[in-house]
Amino acid sequence: MANILLNVLIAFLVGSVLFGLQRKIMARIQMRPGPPIIQHLLHTLKFFIKESTFPKTAAMPFYIAITAMLSVIWVAAIIVGPVTQGSLLLIFAIYAIHKIVEHNAGSSSGSPYGKLSCVRAVFSAAAEVPLFAVLIIIYFKAGTMNIAQIISYQAANGPLIYSIPLAAAMFFVLILSKAPYSPFAITKGKDIISGYETEHFGLLRGYLMMSESTAWYMLLWVFLTVFIGGLSPLWYLVGMLALSTIVGFINATTPILNPNHSIMTQVSFALIGIVGSLVLLLY
Amino acid sequence: MDIIILGQQLMGYIPLGDIVLYLAPVNLFMFASALAFTTLIAISRTETQVEAGVGTLKDQEVKVDKDEFKIRRFLAIVCGLATAGAMITGDLFNFTLFVCLIGIVNIGIVAAVKQIDVLDAAFQYGLVAMIAILPLFGGAAMILASTGTISLLEIAHIPTTFMMIFGSLLLFLGVAGETGVAPFYATKAEMFRTPGSPFLLIIHLSSLLVIIRVIEILLIINKPF
Repeated sequence: MANILLNVLIAFLVGSVLFGLQRKIMARIQMRPGPPIIQHLLHTLKFFIKESTFPKTAAMPFYIAITAMLSVIWVAAIIVGPVTQGSLLLIFAIYAIHKIVEHNAGSSSGSPYGKLSCVRAVFSAAAEVPLFAVLIIIYFKAGTMNIAQIISYQAANGPLIYSIPLAAAMFFVLILSKAPYSPFAITKGKDIISGYETEHFGLLRGYLMMSESTAWYMLLWVFLTVFIGGLSPLWYLVGMLALSTIVGFINATTPILNPNHSIMTQVSFALIGIVGSLVLLLY
Repeated sequence: MDIIILGQQLMGYIPLGDIVLYLAPVNLFMFASALAFTTLIAISRTETQVEAGVGTLKDQEVKVDKDEFKIRRFLAIVCGLATAGAMITGDLFNFTLFVCLIGIVNIGIVAAVKQIDVLDAAFQYGLVAMIAILPLFGGAAMILASTGTISLLEIAHIPTTFMMIFGSLLLFLGVAGETGVAPFYATKAEMFRTPGSPFLLIIHLSSLLVIIRVIEILLIINKPF
């Protein structure tokens, strides 16, 4: 239990600081001073002590429960990932439920901005789920979906990023699409205010932001673990910093795509990645 | 018990005659998630959708009326239970039946809505779902014909043949059509413009969970090693 709590705390703190780092990098590239690196963490903590209000149009108790669901599933992901090193397929299922929560947090408030975000979440799921299907290529290569066994495979045969680089690239595109301000972040585009989070206030917003930070940490953890192998905590931190920095550079220099272009780009990446990886596996 | 499927230890199975339910961590997680969301749908009221009025500065409120609410909630609960069943069944034929039921109730959930655009989208999705029934059951039948069983626990130990791969392709095509995922998602997204967030959740939930389950099933049937 202590191990789970410790890992959840680390995931939340590291994820929040990495989000802050991304904003700082983006700001410096755009010649702005930018917010402090701990800004995202402060924002999250601030929402926990602010007054919670509920729209009179919201679908109760669904509107509240959906934020609790998001927190629960990412805690479950930490248990499956860093704590027990269980099945990668389970993390895939958790990610699918994350998409559902994203979709319904938007539609449950009755706000038109949330509704648009909800429709975009359905679109984006059609592209992000194939990207997550990269895990199947890992199964074809390593012969298992178990994270501990994938780490052992890499210890014996070298990191998977060398043997299935296109799969790693696909997973990176997925990570990129979950970053705020990324070209694929259509569910939280500024044209729809804060997307599915627009009508969640106070404590509920705090839970949403906490879950986002945890999700970011977990996606980076999965990438480093299944494509590079089991690392020491210091190397995990270095890897996460490197990935977040790259994502920050991309976000600072690219505009957000419109929903159709975003989906088609992601689907194209997924198609090239899956077919290319299968060809690489065969030859 | 020493059965390992895709690197995960099977925690047990429940044989109910021909129907075998198997309990592995992934399946249990998805089963529990489907049931949790279904319970939430059963106790939730729907949101009031606020839209900009045309030709006026006032807002327009779109609500779900009581009769529509009752029928949509019933269908959403049926969909949730069918999804939960599809997650835990160890029987290929039952899986296809659950997926087929999910397709039918998904159309029903939005067919009760009185919005032309949404009904158009539901009609188009319905056509795809109906056509997809053929490859769905055809694929399962081919796998049965080539293995002699529909039990996934048995199929897991049978070497893959060409007919099993062909049957799997048909099965995947059928599931893609029934759940309305890519490349059939374009019309389905339009269905989500209607109010009734809890009911729309189950349409999305069933699609994504069934896709994960079918990936698991296809990897069990087509063993690359």
